[in-house]
Amino acid sequence: MAARWSSENVVVEFRDAQATAMSVDCLGLHAVLSGRRFLYVVNLENPSEAPRKISRQSKWDVGTVQWNPHRAQSRVFAASSNQRVDLYTWKDGFGEVHASLQGHTRVISDLDWSWFEAEYLVSSSVDTYIYIWDTRDPRKPLVALSAVAGASQVKWNRKNQNVLASSHDGDVRIWDRRKPNTAVEYVAAHLSKIHGLDWHPDNEYILATSSQDNSVRFWDYRQPRKCLNILSCQVPVWKARYTPFSHGLVTVMVPQLRRENSLLLWSTLDLNSPVHAFVGHDDVVLEFQWRPQKEGSKDCQLVTWSRDQTLRIWRVDPQLQKLCANDTVEELLEGVALSMEPERTQSSQDLEPQQSTAPLAEDLHDPEQAALGSSGAPQTLQQEFSLVNLQIRNVNVEMDALNRSCVVSAHLGSHQVRLVVKFPAHYPNNAVPTFQFVSPTSIPSAMRTKIQKILTDTSLQKVKRNQNCLEPCVRQLMSCLESDMTQEDGPPASPYVLSNPVTPALPAFPRVTNTYGSYQDANIPFPRTSGARFCGTGCLVYFTRPNTMHRSVPASEPTPRSLSALSAYHSGVLTPMKMRTESQSTLRLYSGSPTRSDKDTVSISSFYYKERKPPMSALRRWSVQTIHDYPKSRRFKTKREGSDSSNRPIKLAGKVIIQEISCLLPVHRALGESYILNVSDIQDTCQKNAAAALVVGRRDVAKVWALASAATSQDLGPDPDPDIDTPWARHPFGRHLLETLLDHYSQMSDVQTLAMLCSVFRAQGPPDAPCGQQLPRSALLPHHSRYPSFTSSSLTSGSCSSTSDSVPVTPWNTATGRDSEHGGPWGESSPDDYRYGNQAYSDPREREREQHDMNKRLLDPTHVLQFDDFKKCYGEILHRWGLKEKRADVLKFTSCPPEPHKGIEFGVFCCHCRSQARGTQCEVCRRLTFQCAVCHVAVRGASNFCLSCSHGGHTSHMMDWFSRHDQCPAGCGCHCLQQSTY
Amino acid sequence: TVMQVSVINTVDTSHEDMIHDAQMDYYGTRLATCSSDRTVKIFDVRNGGQILVADLRGHEGPVWQVAWAHPMYGNILASCSYDRKVIVWKEENGSWDKMYEYTGHESSMNSVCWGPYDFGLILACGSSDGAISLLTFTGEQQWDVKKISNAHTIGCNAVSWAPAVVPGSLVDQPSGQKPNYVKRFVSGGCDNLVKLWKEEDGQWKEDQKLEAHSDWVRDVGWAPSIGLPTSTIASCSQDGRVFIWTCEDPTGNTWTPKLLHKFVDVVWHVSWSITGNILAVSGGDNKVTLWKESMDGQWACISDVSKGQGAVSSITDTQQSEQ
Repeated sequence: MAARWSSENVVVEFRDAQATAMSVDCLGLHAVLSGRRFLYVVNLENPSEAPRKISRQSKWDVGTVQWNPHRAQSRVFAASSNQRVDLYTWKDGFGEVHASLQGHTRVISDLDWSWFEAEYLVSSSVDTYIYIWDTRDPRKPLVALSAVAGASQVKWNRKNQNVLASSHDGDVRIWDRRKPNTAVEYVAAHLSKIHGLDWHPDNEYILATSSQDNSVRFWDYRQPRKCLNILSCQVPVWKARYTPFSHGLVTVMVPQLRRENSLLLWSTLDLNSPVHAFVGHDDVVLEFQWRPQKEGSKDCQLVTWSRDQTLRIWRVDPQLQKLCANDTVEELLEGVALSMEPERTQSSQDLEPQQSTAPLAEDLHDPEQAALGSSGAPQTLQQEFSLVNLQIRNVNVEMDALNRSCVVSAHLGSHQVRLVVKFPAHYPNNAVPTFQFVSPTSIPSAMRTKIQKILTDTSLQKVKRNQNCLEPCVRQLMSCLESDMTQEDGPPASPYVLSNPVTPALPAFPRVTNTYGSYQDANIPFPRTSGARFCGTGCLVYFTRPNTMHRSVPASEPTPRSLSALSAYHSGVLTPMKMRTESQSTLRLYSGSPTRSDKDTVSISSFYYKERKPPMSALRRWSVQTIHDYPKSRRFKTKREGSDSSNRPIKLAGKVIIQEISCLLPVHRALGESYILNVSDIQDTCQKNAAAALVVGRRDVAKVWALASAATSQDLGPDPDPDIDTPWARHPFGRHLLETLLDHYSQMSDVQTLAMLCSVFRAQGPPDAPCGQQLPRSALLPHHSRYPSFTSSSLTSGSCSSTSDSVPVTPWNTATGRDSEHGGPWGESSPDDYRYGNQAYSDPREREREQHDMNKRLLDPTHVLQFDDFKKCYGEILHRWGLKEKRADVLKFTSCPPEPHKGIEFGVFCCHCRSQARGTQCEVCRRLTFQCAVCHVAVRGASNFCLSCSHGGHTSHMMDWFSRHDQCPAGCGCHCLQQSTY
Repeated sequence: TVMQVSVINTVDTSHEDMIHDAQMDYYGTRLATCSSDRTVKIFDVRNGGQILVADLRGHEGPVWQVAWAHPMYGNILASCSYDRKVIVWKEENGSWDKMYEYTGHESSMNSVCWGPYDFGLILACGSSDGAISLLTFTGEQQWDVKKISNAHTIGCNAVSWAPAVVPGSLVDQPSGQKPNYVKRFVSGGCDNLVKLWKEEDGQWKEDQKLEAHSDWVRDVGWAPSIGLPTSTIASCSQDGRVFIWTCEDPTGNTWTPKLLHKFVDVVWHVSWSITGNILAVSGGDNKVTLWKESMDGQWACISDVSKGQGAVSSITDTQQSEQ
């Protein structure tokens, strides 16, 4: 199965066209779109240019429009409008009616130009007459065919100029225009309305009908009771038409869902799954036609017009065309079916004599086709034997290449078959093998004959194209045997249908499932049709299934878990509905547009059925909906008038609702805005924040702020001397109280209060030096520096200052620098070690003071990281609220900046061994890595160097040098001052 | 106190088929929706408006889920579909275009989720083919793809990232270092399992396997962190059960399930509020309910948001009134 979805190459929207019909001229230059007020002629060479308009005065929509297919008459098109046919001439960008054909007494349902006589037009009508017009004489029809029943379609045969077909409800009538009084053949084609009729482009006798009964059927009208093949769809088929290239068929379904607007391309040789889907239209496809190919172009172009008011042109490349003609076993069925035609029916003799006595199969395969089909050179018998795939159940094949024969043994139920196949010398070059049943074959002789004939035909099909036939013959044999088996049980049925068992019902998504449906797709979960998400900060976004959609199974039954389980629900639910809607759609058949019934769906939504409300309430519901609707749905409002309310599309998508749920959250945007963090006046900060909390109704938080105010009051401020008294933090109302509060708000998830408390109490602590400045020793408190190490080395290496003692190897990223030096020892120590300080202090007083510094803090320094996370999370919420300054205020109080600055780290190549070094000393040669360009002494301390020429040296030397010179002291000629900034 | 929850916007998406996901961006200014009609739509919903900003076409099957990336990477949206594709869309100069299309799976893509911004632009995607992919934007139109094959037998239905704050390891972490974020996410699948994944040395490893559900797990949600040393995950299933999994163990090895509720029908979706204390639950019964944990650790339904569509419910919030 090919999945090529990108073949659409032109999309043009004609927003106001409201066209109901479309036609492409025989030169492929123009398409006419028929709206009520104007006909639009689109230049297909340049579709996006504004279409020319032909205005028309009619209260009726155009039913059908058809360009004349003859080059001589390529400027003429016919458009039906109610009972009248208008003939337009299109010339030099202007169009006008040059004649009107009046004769029908009721609405015209279809028009078709003769393929043979350029002036002949046929029209069908509900008034039961089919008129053939010679358009040179518009006064009256040339021939009137009386059908008794109203016709929905009429089409000229493409091979025989006298033959026409018309459809009447579920029947097809074949007419010879020389015998206008009665049809020459009746085909009871379908059980319900035929929407589409198309003659085979090459075979005079074959036609395809598409119907409301969810099928396309293929007929040879000489065998009106035998359908050649059936394409089963799960939905009514609006149109099915042959393609200009071989074995292709394009269908448009009557959409069950507004979504399912694809055109499907089928191979008539394999109706199990479509070859391709033309996906893109957003609404019902109203018309599709093939644009005649330009000379030399191998691509075909399909022009489509949809109710979505877009005209699309789809390229069908030779590869895709070829897919329709691909060699599959099923291909044979058509040939077999045709060649098994037993005797010609009486009626066909009345028609013009044709050389149709030749096997039909031959007609089907023109030489070009044969060339297409034969992929690769014919194989020798030996090759065929070695490559043949005969992994078929109940079959055994013994191959003897030397004697050019093989024996096929098969058993099926009670039947046993032994078949000798002999391959002539020329095989497979147009030489058919012989098939002979030998004992112990147990099937009746009538059946032997039948099978032998089928096999011969099958092989003939193949060898005519120089193709091998063993495998298809064996498969054909098995399928014949199998169908015979089933026939034994039930009433005898047409072998054609049986051998190609009425296609496995099209799965729910005709397009998608066929393409993607593999064993991998068996467990795709049943889609959510409702959902709710918290979004932003205070919103809940949710959607549910619309009220108009109801579950089609009792509420007690759970929703299926997988998409594939859905099919089980289909059949039962849908059948009764189909019967009901059928009659409704017939009314609208003649409007020229497919019925859009809101019949039950074939999709994931099929689990739910749509409510059928009584007309009144339905009407009201709809009118409400249209107000919110985009103009699109109003476009065809007129069309909807007068139609049953149940035919209106029902929305499958509900509304998405956004609810403000901030009141349920423990955080408040208003507080985020009004909270302040004033380090210089904590008391004031607490009081103002308390007031703010009251405003939003958080009395609890207001009280907390009052407590915070009390706890941060100056009289409780800790004395710097540890000997004076116990710090307030050690009091039960100190740190303990704060911890209890934090615990409480943690449980409430009130990250706002948590973060604010942590910030305020951090600000309240001993005076902090802003991060990044050279710190006095007393500032080396854990709450400030995130670094627990108290060793003096952190002082010397841990600064962020721009000059350091070991340029250029000092990591500018201070965080990483320290990690490497001090991360280790801390990682192994517990918070307790840290708290009580296991480092050796030379001065016990110093140790005591550090201890005191810790003790006097209300926030437990060991939880600093967690407090940071409160702030970080709250900062994130403030960010979402768009309160970036407030966020910065809060993040200032984190012990570590949210994103450690990643600066540039300079590396050096050792000046002695050229290896890369990361310090003042080279790890390879153990010498100092960097020499001053001025004094030629290794640099240990502060240095500067030029980023351009990479020379440099002691900062003082460099400063000195460049105060007097412009060029590099190394003599490299670099103008360092201009090249880089020291 | 009776707290009023108010509908501030009702967006008519004009999707032509059923909607499967709707999500607002980081700031709550834009709404993205996706549908069986194969499209993704973006609406500007500021000030109660609903302006269609983009109608993103590119998927060839129903679109199951959308996910907004953190705005520090620009306006980026990911979508996943039945068509086996994940598409990353990006707004540039006011127009939305495909930034990346990922087609590395064999079946329907069921879930997409962006990682916390601290990890860069990283997207987890779960597929019905049982695998999970992790797509990392490495700049210059390049994406690094890591795939966990057979993450869930039969199929993966949902993925959700752990917050970048790693609460469990906070206590132990040497202060002063940049927290050593471990990339973690949770997934749920047709094997009825909830699985936790962890990146170690650039490789994704199964970290935990949580068993409690008796049918397909349909969604998982890792609760946002407010900085507490507890991890919380919600999971919901075809079996109608919603479990809340918590882990207070700093090593992240001990997860305890608690049954939130057993619903009559399948539960499709769970979503946490920003502070991680309210859970929105939705499922086959076409209802949306909100659940909140009380101070004593019990989960209680605090509202039934959608008895009928558009119904405005007032919520009596006992928790709030206690304050």
